[in-house]
Formats: sequence, C-alpha cells, structure tokens
Amino acid sequence: MNPAPQRTRRRWRAVATATVAVALALTGCAGGVPAATSGDRPLVIARAMDLTTLDPQRGYCDTCQILYTALYERLVTIDPADTSTVLPGLAESWEANADNTEFTFHLDTDAVFSDGSPVEAADVKWSFERLVNLQGSASFLLAGLTGIETPDAETVVVSFENPNSAFLAIVAAPYLGIVNSEVAEENGASAAADAATTDDAEGWFLANSAGSGPYTLTDYTSGESVELAANEEYWGDEPEFTSVEMKEVTDSSSQLQQLQQGDVDIAMQISPDALAQLEGNEAIATEIVDSFNYTYIALLPAAPGGEPLQDVRVREAIRMAVDYDGLVDTLVAGYGKLQGSPIPNGFEGSEEVALPSYDLDGAKALLEEAGYADGFTLSATYPKLVAYGVDLDLQMQAIQQDLAEIGVTLELNPTDFSQWASTMGGEGTPVTAVYFAPDHTDSSQYIQYFGNIDQGGLVNPWTGSVSQEQTDLLAQALSQSGDERVATYQALAESMAADAFVLPMVNPQLILAYASDISGVAYSPCCNLEIGQLGLSG
Amino acid sequence: MTAASGIAGFGTTSIAALRSVRSSAWMRPQMVFGYVIVAFWLVLVVSVQWIAPFDPLASVGQRLSPPSAAHWFGTDALGRDVLSRALYGARYSLPIALVSIVASVLVGSVLGAVAGYVGGLVDAIIMRIADITMSFPAILLAMAVAAALGPGLDNAGVAIIIVWWPIYARLMRGQVLSIKEREHVESAVAIGASRSRILFRHIIPHASTPTLVNATMDLGQIVLLVASLSFLGLGALPPTPEWGAMITEGAKNFYQPWIAAAPGLAIVSIVLAINFIGDGLRDALDVKARR
Repeated sequence: MNPAPQRTRRRWRAVATATVAVALALTGCAGGVPAATSGDRPLVIARAMDLTTLDPQRGYCDTCQILYTALYERLVTIDPADTSTVLPGLAESWEANADNTEFTFHLDTDAVFSDGSPVEAADVKWSFERLVNLQGSASFLLAGLTGIETPDAETVVVSFENPNSAFLAIVAAPYLGIVNSEVAEENGASAAADAATTDDAEGWFLANSAGSGPYTLTDYTSGESVELAANEEYWGDEPEFTSVEMKEVTDSSSQLQQLQQGDVDIAMQISPDALAQLEGNEAIATEIVDSFNYTYIALLPAAPGGEPLQDVRVREAIRMAVDYDGLVDTLVAGYGKLQGSPIPNGFEGSEEVALPSYDLDGAKALLEEAGYADGFTLSATYPKLVAYGVDLDLQMQAIQQDLAEIGVTLELNPTDFSQWASTMGGEGTPVTAVYFAPDHTDSSQYIQYFGNIDQGGLVNPWTGSVSQEQTDLLAQALSQSGDERVATYQALAESMAADAFVLPMVNPQLILAYASDISGVAYSPCCNLEIGQLGLSG
Repeated sequence: MTAASGIAGFGTTSIAALRSVRSSAWMRPQMVFGYVIVAFWLVLVVSVQWIAPFDPLASVGQRLSPPSAAHWFGTDALGRDVLSRALYGARYSLPIALVSIVASVLVGSVLGAVAGYVGGLVDAIIMRIADITMSFPAILLAMAVAAALGPGLDNAGVAIIIVWWPIYARLMRGQVLSIKEREHVESAVAIGASRSRILFRHIIPHASTPTLVNATMDLGQIVLLVASLSFLGLGALPPTPEWGAMITEGAKNFYQPWIAAAPGLAIVSIVLAINFIGDGLRDALDVKARR
C-alpha cells in the first residue's frame, strides 16, 4: 500500500471539483483555486479564539479543546454518533473495578509521540499529575484522584476515593491529553506537587507541542493565528492536510465574507442571521447540527438585592414569564431548542424533563401569591459577549421586556468578561446570564456546576442552603451505571429544574459553514472540531 | 454670497454698513441651516413622546425588517422601531452633552482664571494638572475614566468633564493674563476693589467671548464623544436608545444596515449643525472683537 500517489490523485480531483464549483457559482476568484501542480493546499479555519495559553494542562477554553485534540491524544475517545460509546485511543483496552473506583488502561504499543518515542505509562501518570498539580482551571476534572500506578510501561491504573463512573467520559476530554513527559521536562515542565510554582513551561508550549496527535504546533501569534503541521511520525491514519492555519477573525460578518471570498475554508462562528447570505452558493456547504451548548440565566437569592428570589414561587414566576419561542426566534433566528433543566438535551437524564413554557397569567398569579403583586426590581450583571450565536445583551433585553409584563423591573449591567468574573467572585449579582459548553460527555459536570450541592460551582454559593437530596443523588449516580444512572440523573435534572435557580434559555444549533470540497467537518461533543478528521472530498 | 459681501462691507467705516455686517453675519445660510437642525432636535428633546411613531423600548414589528411605510428606518434585532429609537436618542445625547460642556466651561474657566490672576505656585499646579490631562488623547482618557467609574450615561458625563475642562482653563488663563494688564483693571485696583471682585466683575466678563465660541464648537465634539463611549459599551446601558449604543447594535447586524443608519444620520446632522453655528459664531464675534 502506498498512500502517497492516492492522495495526490485525490487532490487533483478536488482541484477539478473546486474549479467547477467556482465556475458554476460565477464567483470567479483565481486565488480561491489552489495551485494545481505545486505545493499542498493549507487548510484555513476562521475563528474568534478565546486562547490565553497553549499549555495542555493549563488551558480551559473552547479553542483549547480544538487545538489540544489536534496536538495531543487521550487514552480513550467518544463515538461522535453515540456519546455513550467509548472508543480506544492511546489505550487499546481498559477495565474498571466493580465499584468504579479503580480504572486500568492498557496502552497501544504502536503509539508514538511526534519525536518518535513510544507513549508509555509514565507519560500518562506525568500528564495527569501535572494537570492536578498545576491547579489550573481544568484541574477539577481529576478531583478525588488518590493515585496512579504504573505496573509496567503499557499499563496505567488510576484510582479514586469515591466511585466515579464518569471517569471514562472525563478521560476523553481534551484536557486529559497525554504529553511527552521527557521533552516537556527538558523544557521546564514539572508534574511535582509544587508544579503550580515551579513549572515554567507555559512559554515553551506557546511555540511547541509534545504530543502524539495528528498535528504538531509550528507557530502561534496571539490575536492572529495558530499554525499546525502534520505530525510526520503519526501512528494513526495520516491526516490529509499537511498544514492547517487557524486564523483570528473576531466577528461573524468578517468570517462570512472571508468564506465567501475563498480566503478561509471553514468559518466557525457564522451567525444564524447571516445564513441567508449563503443560500444558493454552491462553493459553500452549510449544515445545521444540534449542540450541547446553552445559554441560561441564574437567579441568585443571596446576592445583594436578590431577597425576592428567596421564594421559589418568585423564581418559578420568572421562568413562566419568558416567551421562549420568541427568544429562540430573536436570538438564533429559530435555529435553537428549549431545554428543561441544566442538563442539556442529549445528555443522560435530560430526556423526560418537561420543557419550560410561557404562561403570563400563571406567572402573575404566582407573584401575587408570593406577595409581589406590585412587582420589584432586580439588577442583572452579565458578560457582554456572543456565545454560540446568542448575543447575551440581546437575550437580556428580550427577557427585560418579558419580565416588565409581570411587573419585574430588570436593570441591565453588561460588563467585560473579566469584570463579570470578579463580580461573581466578590459580592455577586441577583441575576446573571452566561453560557455553558460541556467539558466531557457525562452529566455529572452539570450537577457539580449548577446543582445546589456543597462546593457547587456557580449556584451553591448564592443559595444560602445545600440540597442534601442533590448531594446524595450525585454520589449515587457516580456509583451507578447504565439505566440506573440515567434514572438518577433524571431525578437530579428534575430536582434542579424545580429549584429554578438556573433557567436555561436557548440551546442553539450549531452552524457549520465550509468550502464544499472539505470533508469531515462535524461537531464533536468532547472536542468541538476534530481537525485530524478533515480532508478534501473528491 | 452674503458672507463675502458682508466682509467686503466691513471695509467701509460707516455705522450702517457695520450694522448690516453684524446682522448678516448671524444669519449666514450655513448658520440658518444649523439653527433649523438644532431647533429640530431641541423640539424633539422636549416633545419626542408626541412625535415618535412608536414606543422606543417595545417590540412593535417583525425583527430585522427593512425600511417600510410602517417603519421608515426598519426594525432592530428585537423588533423595535429604529426611527423612534433614534428620535428618542436626542433625549439622552443632547442633555448629557449640554450638561458636560457647561460643567467643563465652569470648572475650567474658574480654575484657569484663578491660575492666571493669582499666578505663581497656584498657576503652576493648576496648569501642570491641565497639561498632564491634555497630554492624553481625549477619547483614551475618557474611556479610562468611564471604565473606572463603570458604564452609565452619568459616568460618561463625568468622564467628559474630566477630559474637557483643561481646554477652558488654558483659554481663560490666557485671556485673564492679557486683560489684567488693561487700564480698567488697574483703575479698579487703584480704587481698592477686592481681588475676587476684580476677577469676577472686571476680568471674566471681558474674557468670556472666546470661551463661548469654543464651547459652541466643542458641543458637537462632545455629542460625538458621548456616542463613542456608548459605542464602546462605556456609556448608555441597554435598552437605552442612545445613538452610539444603537450603532453598536447595527454593527452586530452587518447585513441590516438600516439599524445603524438612523442613529448615524442623527449624529451627523447634529454635529454638522453645531459646527456650522460655531463657525459662524466665531466669524461674527471676531468682527466684534476687531471693532
């Protein structure tokens, strides 16, 4: 088997198709057609990047998910078609003990890093320990870890304090990618307990990568671009594109324009309102797929000015006063769904939870019952940004209009993301609006972040109480599997929905827009876009 | 042209000719145009609730619909009438600009007059602070101050006063320095008038003309600055129909240009009108000064 000539042929065909497509669309732009004989066509992706670091154990962002997936590999991966199916990655097989506290992975002996050295158990141990010890934003993913054993070079045993049936899903998260420990340590990285203060490899990772993924990092210019080159030592199926550039294009309209001109192959954040501009353009393919992302408002009674929200009837009334269908229309031009609880559609436990519905009279009656017939005023501080096509500013203005109908005055205070984060870390705000995208494919993350449990992420510090029911149910879910676990997650979803601290607003669909000769563009639940899967269709 | 003939007329020395120059200088076509536009917006500030076709905060139509008979400037992303919002915008931009300019003039003039009249260390301290403030580009400093105070139109006004007062301090100081050497001031000193009486009764009234002209010219710039701060998210908070904030919304909806068109036209018209008036005023008052 000789893959090289085949690839060349495929590229020729692609050139021909692209030429025809361009001619058909009458958007004749010579620059859009790759040079037919010499050089490889680079893949160019346009994206508003939320990158602050490229260190795989320090970063925590959507763009990080995409890049880490291209540069590093995980022990296991998730089947995009069925998120409950775990597929082999660096580990060819794995098993868990009966109570899900100990997980054994057997590494694939073919797996090598980009410098040709084999992927060994010591690298896995080092990478996981570094993730924990750097105490970065993603360190919580390995909370409760008690030890990692490496009986031989191909076997890793990870043990936890409490049952953790979510671990296989967590292991597939891009933040748990395996790093070549020898190379990283030579360049200042450390996995020791004091890594948070002694590790100084963050700068090195901005220009280099040390993984076993299909690509390696060649260049990064902050605010401009990230450049990747195919990993010549890659042990899996060789990626089709030999070089990939991810380009910083901040707004949706510029992304659209560059895609139309053929300057970029994939535009990642096209707004639904711009979709009509692409209709009938044969050189560009668009697909609308369901996502697990959503925007929500959180009602936080313990924040100053949040007193009326202590009454669950008030929170329920606010939920009923929002015109959800109008919201989906206004925010994402109808390309979105409603969601019943903080566990998004498609995750375990979400299926049978009732969707929120608009009931103005019901909302008024509930407010009257709670003693707020004359209404009250709430202030809402939220980050001023567009998340997955949803402009939070617009969402809050629409909700403001809806709440005015039941006499609730919402004062809007949009701020920068960093300012919002410091408000949430400080005195808080009675109402806020944010977005959430999954880190992995297990529902536990939603209870850990949105549940009213001790040490809960967003909600618990502001409720003034802890729900013992939710705490117990979460521990129960993590020790269960299969249908039992689904049932427990559903009970949790219903309990969180009844609490009404977090009201999901819109679950936007994702718009994939790309040059029609590119294949493999798909939304991956763990990793957003898998660059290694992209190719030219012919 | 009236203006040209007016200036030619100034060459003759008869009183009648001079009077005709003065009256026509106040009524040059571009100034009249300015008066009409400014009057239009001032009328709106007072009575927009009877003039605007729709409630500026309510969703009254299909979202993002292009200009039509019902909505002359279309609707925005929430289905609000863009024309009504732009008309209501006058209620926010103009008062805040007026208050900011008056406050800047008051603060700047008093500090500048004191600096010029008292001199010495007081002069040095006040004018160095003014120099430091002026060494920053106005928009940058205003952004920094507004960001520190937090968003809101009131805070934007405060930021503008902080940025703008040194201009008037400098202007007034220069005037005071030259006027305090005049004979009428010296005679006031001779008859024993108090220092504050001399400053406020004998100097400042003579020094106010350039300040007045400058303030008129600056008013347009301040309308722009308010809009710029709101455009950057440091001014009006949603859903306030402020012009700069509306243009931000328009920029987000790149393919619906009408959303930004109405507030854009509003800003252009008011700034242009104020500049016309300011220009004319400068010419007209120059004549008086030269006389």
